[in-house]
Amino acid sequence: MGPLSRDAWAQRLGAFRASPSAFMAGPEGEDLGRDLLSDLRSEKLSEQTKVSLLALSMEYPAQLWPDASAAEVAATSLLDTLVLLPPRPSALRRPLLLAATTALAAGGALGPTSGASCRLLPLLLGLAAGSDPGRGFVPASEQRPLQATACECLRELESCKPGLLGGSLGLLRGLLGQEGPVQPLSLLLALALRNTLVLQFRVGAGLGGLLTDKVSPTGGGPWDWTLVEEGDGRLQPQAPSWPAAEEGEGERSLTAREHSPEEARELRAAVIQLLDTSYLLTPVAQAQLLWLLGWALRGLQGQPPALFKPQLVRLLGTAQLTLLHAVLALKAAFGEALFTAQDEALLLRRLTLAAQHPALPPPTHLFYLHCVLSFPENWPLGPEGEEAAPLLLGPQLCRGLLPSLLHDPMALLARLHLLCLLCAEEEEEEKGQLPSPRHYLEELLAGLRQRAALDGGPRALATLCFQASYLVACCLAGQPTVLTPLIHGLAQLYQARPMLAPHFVDLLDQVDSELREPLKVVLRQMVVSRPGRDEALCWHLQMLAKVADGDAQSATLNFLQAAAAHCTNWDLQQGLLRVCRALLRAGVRGGLVDLLQVLARQLEDPDGRDHARLYYILLAHLAAPKLGVALGPSLAAPALASSLVAENQGFVAALMVQEAPALVRLSVGSHRVKGPLPVLKLQPEALEPIYSLELRFRVEGQLYAPLEAVHVPCLCPGRPARPLLLPLQPRCPAPARLDVHALYTTSTGLTCHAHLPPLFVNFADLFLPFPQPPEGAGLGFFEELWDSCLPEGAESRVWCPLGPQGLEGLVSRHLEPFVVVAQPPTSYCVAIHLPPDSKLLLRLEAALADGVPVALRTDDWAVLPLAGDYLRGLAAAV
Amino acid sequence: MAQRAVWLISHEPGTPLCGTVRFSRRYPTVEKRARVFNGASYVPVPEDGPFLKALLFELRLLDDDKDFIESRDSCSRINKTSIYGLLIGGEELWPVVAFLKNDMIYACVPLVEQTLSPRPPLISVSGVSQGFEFLFGIQDFLYSGQKNDSELNTKLSQLPDLLLQACPFGTLLDANLQNSLDNTNFASVTQPQKQPAWKTGTYKGKPQVSISITEKVKSMQYDKQGIADTWQVVGTVTCKCDLEGIMPNVTISLSLPTNGSPLQDILVHPCVTSLDSAILTSSSIDAMDDSAFSGPYKFPFTPPLESFNLCFYTSQVPVPPILGFYQMKEEEVQLRITINLKLHESVKNNFEFCEAHIPFYNRGPITHLEYKTSFGQLEVFREKSLLIWIIGQKFPKSMEISLSGTVTFGAKSHEKQPFDPICTGETAYLKLHFRILDYTLTGCYADQHSVQVFASGKPKISAHEDTDGTERLGSHSLQMAELRVRYSSILALEPVHLTVCCLASHCYCVLKL
Repeated sequence: MGPLSRDAWAQRLGAFRASPSAFMAGPEGEDLGRDLLSDLRSEKLSEQTKVSLLALSMEYPAQLWPDASAAEVAATSLLDTLVLLPPRPSALRRPLLLAATTALAAGGALGPTSGASCRLLPLLLGLAAGSDPGRGFVPASEQRPLQATACECLRELESCKPGLLGGSLGLLRGLLGQEGPVQPLSLLLALALRNTLVLQFRVGAGLGGLLTDKVSPTGGGPWDWTLVEEGDGRLQPQAPSWPAAEEGEGERSLTAREHSPEEARELRAAVIQLLDTSYLLTPVAQAQLLWLLGWALRGLQGQPPALFKPQLVRLLGTAQLTLLHAVLALKAAFGEALFTAQDEALLLRRLTLAAQHPALPPPTHLFYLHCVLSFPENWPLGPEGEEAAPLLLGPQLCRGLLPSLLHDPMALLARLHLLCLLCAEEEEEEKGQLPSPRHYLEELLAGLRQRAALDGGPRALATLCFQASYLVACCLAGQPTVLTPLIHGLAQLYQARPMLAPHFVDLLDQVDSELREPLKVVLRQMVVSRPGRDEALCWHLQMLAKVADGDAQSATLNFLQAAAAHCTNWDLQQGLLRVCRALLRAGVRGGLVDLLQVLARQLEDPDGRDHARLYYILLAHLAAPKLGVALGPSLAAPALASSLVAENQGFVAALMVQEAPALVRLSVGSHRVKGPLPVLKLQPEALEPIYSLELRFRVEGQLYAPLEAVHVPCLCPGRPARPLLLPLQPRCPAPARLDVHALYTTSTGLTCHAHLPPLFVNFADLFLPFPQPPEGAGLGFFEELWDSCLPEGAESRVWCPLGPQGLEGLVSRHLEPFVVVAQPPTSYCVAIHLPPDSKLLLRLEAALADGVPVALRTDDWAVLPLAGDYLRGLAAAV
Repeated sequence: MAQRAVWLISHEPGTPLCGTVRFSRRYPTVEKRARVFNGASYVPVPEDGPFLKALLFELRLLDDDKDFIESRDSCSRINKTSIYGLLIGGEELWPVVAFLKNDMIYACVPLVEQTLSPRPPLISVSGVSQGFEFLFGIQDFLYSGQKNDSELNTKLSQLPDLLLQACPFGTLLDANLQNSLDNTNFASVTQPQKQPAWKTGTYKGKPQVSISITEKVKSMQYDKQGIADTWQVVGTVTCKCDLEGIMPNVTISLSLPTNGSPLQDILVHPCVTSLDSAILTSSSIDAMDDSAFSGPYKFPFTPPLESFNLCFYTSQVPVPPILGFYQMKEEEVQLRITINLKLHESVKNNFEFCEAHIPFYNRGPITHLEYKTSFGQLEVFREKSLLIWIIGQKFPKSMEISLSGTVTFGAKSHEKQPFDPICTGETAYLKLHFRILDYTLTGCYADQHSVQVFASGKPKISAHEDTDGTERLGSHSLQMAELRVRYSSILALEPVHLTVCCLASHCYCVLKL
């Protein structure tokens, strides 16, 4: 496809700009970057069209060339186009340089391995030095503009890759001293110097001869990337945030290293050189220079901040936003070292003056006011980062900064904030003075409320009134002399214009309980004292749903009863039900039952009747805490779901059993060897208070008869619980695994179900003793049992290792209840009953030091391996 | 210290989107730095469409404010500066510097060189003041000398090229865009060494310094006990110095007559090289006394090529130029109004024009009017509910004039009558517009003999220019004065049910030397 015409390109660029993402997703998106590069060399397109193509590439390189390799290709192509330009003046050289720089820096291709970078950097540095790369590359008329542009490009590259120009400091300094364009060179030198200082000190090196070396760093050879690599490619904030610089990684600690005297002298000379010519820079560029140098020199040994002093005198008289802001930055950087107490007072005075000067535009006023309240004081008293009135800002200075109703909303709020800060500081003893800030504040708020109350007024007026009330409530919490009239005034506002109910609900949601609770009471009284047939009934119901609680039940219920007759449409009925719901949550029961019954019969809308009935059923059947949870805000419902969905999900959450992580732990204690059945002793432990705990057990493999559930009324963490007894009914004498499920109610009323880790019933847990034979008949009894085992049963011998406790210890520890005949310490006859009806007989005789041979018999051959394992494990089971 | 993007949006109420993006420019290299600096809190600059929507919503410029919307109307969403957070696609883009002026919204997003959560204080973000300066610069460029929409469109079409000069990479180099335009035009001229960046060329021709002083008076007259009337003069001194040489030094002194009201709150142009400490500290914040510095006020500076505001000042003159009295009584279906105006004897009684505007807010159209006036004519704009009392060039010898009458209004229709939150019931105001020639309220003047010029570089010429360089000072040609007398009661102080409205006046007067 040949090159596009001018109009075709204009159309294409227009379509792209309208929505870059949509264009790139479309059929033409893929080719745009390539077409753009190739058409830049087309002879059919005018320079103006080409400039617009380049402008696009400067704005959207990420869309045109999405990865580093594409960016590299693009930059190479742009540089080729630049080189191929005929040696006559052209409007394309500057934009081509800017576009190539943008492509490399934004595309992430800038680096030592990038061919385009290695071409662009020396070219830029050469242009910045005022030299012509040869063959009439730079027509004489373009030399100055290109020199400035090259400096700007280098500055942008240095910003994106700090340290890039570390080796060119001396060269740049020399150029600035000679003939170069002052502003671009000053800004470039200042940035490179700042970055080099930070990077060199990070690696513990000094500036060395960097400031005096006037040799071009390329010198024909490759570009020096060492400083960039040392910096690890980390970006350097040109003006670090103040508190961050204070603590954070500590610029101060990095730069607190001393220079050699020569280094310090050269550095100071360079800084003075920059500052001395700074008046030749435009105001915005001067400001950049001051931010850069201020933070570069902060904390540097041997670099007195007094270097800046001659500039300050000049700057304090202006109201240029960037300049005064830069002075504030110097103030923050150096504090008392640069600004004495008198200087500080003068600066604050100028700032206060600028914050209200009629010749300045309102956005400037507001920013200066912010600066006053965030003023970097030499000796700040309050917490860092919070807006506060500086100590030196007396009432006299603030006089012109008081808010009035004629101010626009932002100015009013900003000034109101200042007024609140003054009121907070106001001493009680100043009562004699007229008018006191507090008095003024009260009148202002009254005026705002009066405007908000105007019928037909825009919502912005109401919003402003509530924002002001909120601001006052936040700043002056704990001052009843302010809050009481505020509450009173807001109540009157509601009376005058109930349609502001959503604002009131919002305010109640945002403020602290100190204002919220009394305001709620007043508003509730105001609503319920009205007849229920007000035009503004829907607002009253909305308000009541927010403020109704357990207090003043009868008045509230009376109001609702009166209102019910007038709730003829769905909206109002829902509003009414919402209040009922709020009352249900608050635990109101008595009169509400009657009301809900009436509503369930009377409401015209079937949905309303259903809801009323549902609430009635809930009220009748659920205990108060459970009801509270059922009606509470549902966490399950997404925020945007309708109230009905939220409500239903809330019920589902509250009334259904929830799957939950286990809040209870069970451990098996020592088993009880009494009675006809083995009983497992369980020790429960709760992680949170839980109620009505039901533990259900299931035996795997049906080895035992089904187990009864165990019930515990209440478990609390930290309070010892009585052990639980779980009788087992084995169907065969074997160990088993018990699956355990817990069902419980949380303190919030939710019913939860949890799967607990399984419990293991060991072989020994099943042991029961035989009935005790009469005294002296033990041996006979045992022999009888012993003989009865054969021939159906089985016999075996097992070597039971003994631990240090010996045989006597072993028996007393594990087998004591089952011993029938004992001849300590050498011989024991043990008879164990294994439910349902098996027996295990052991003879432990002739113990040796390390073990005892055990003869065992059982009438159930399946028991033998279990018994063998048990005996062999005894010594280990201490 | 850089901008990530800048927008110009025209506010078009009544259209579906309520606005159109007229210009936008993004700075991808700055955006890349923002991504690194902001880390996890980075929010990309959106495309124009979503940005427009979010900004208009945040600035309350969408037509719909019928319902309470929490994300806009919540009491805790308090903005105290022109810097906003915009909710776009669930994320908040902050900080967005934006303001509305002449139906044009100016917006930009400064780079913050750290994480955005927690938000750093605005004062520590260097890009914020730069952003403001950038937008003010664009505003000045668009509206300086611009008369109509087609001129505005021409200037808008020049912006892309201008920003390539003034802000190629998002770091603003010069807020004076006109300079950049001149720079482009001057490109073929080889510039001399050590040229200041704020001066794009040099002047060749007859040396000439023009100075003009403009004063406005801002006044509130309540005529009410407990509420003090206020009036304050705001002055602007504008200069145009056509002088040869790269860095000529000029000193201009402003003087006051004996017993003149001292100039205060003086703000100077950045080209002023030094200031007397008395000028720096003279402030309206302090209580006035006789010891206040009363000049001469010396301003040494190196002028730029273009016309510029050398300084701004305020002053407290002893009395307002015109005293007013405005009374309103509601009588059944009609309003009875009485107005008296008195020109102070010290003020020059020679107006270019003088007229009083008497609006009636929150009422229907005027259906009937009966009036009597001691001087001048009355024009009635029935549909606008506005009376204009044309007083003319001079007050009568008595210096006092009056107007009284009764006005009847028709039914109120909400669409046509703008809502005014102040002027409800019997609260109202009137505005007085006038223009006086050859007069300043403070008496402030620039003595042509006090102007000194030193042209650097060529000492011989400078010595010559020292005496003759200021051949043509502006003669005392007073161009415009306007006084607005504003009558209103402040709701905060005054209950609405008062039958007599209290008097307030709001005056502006502009005078030029």
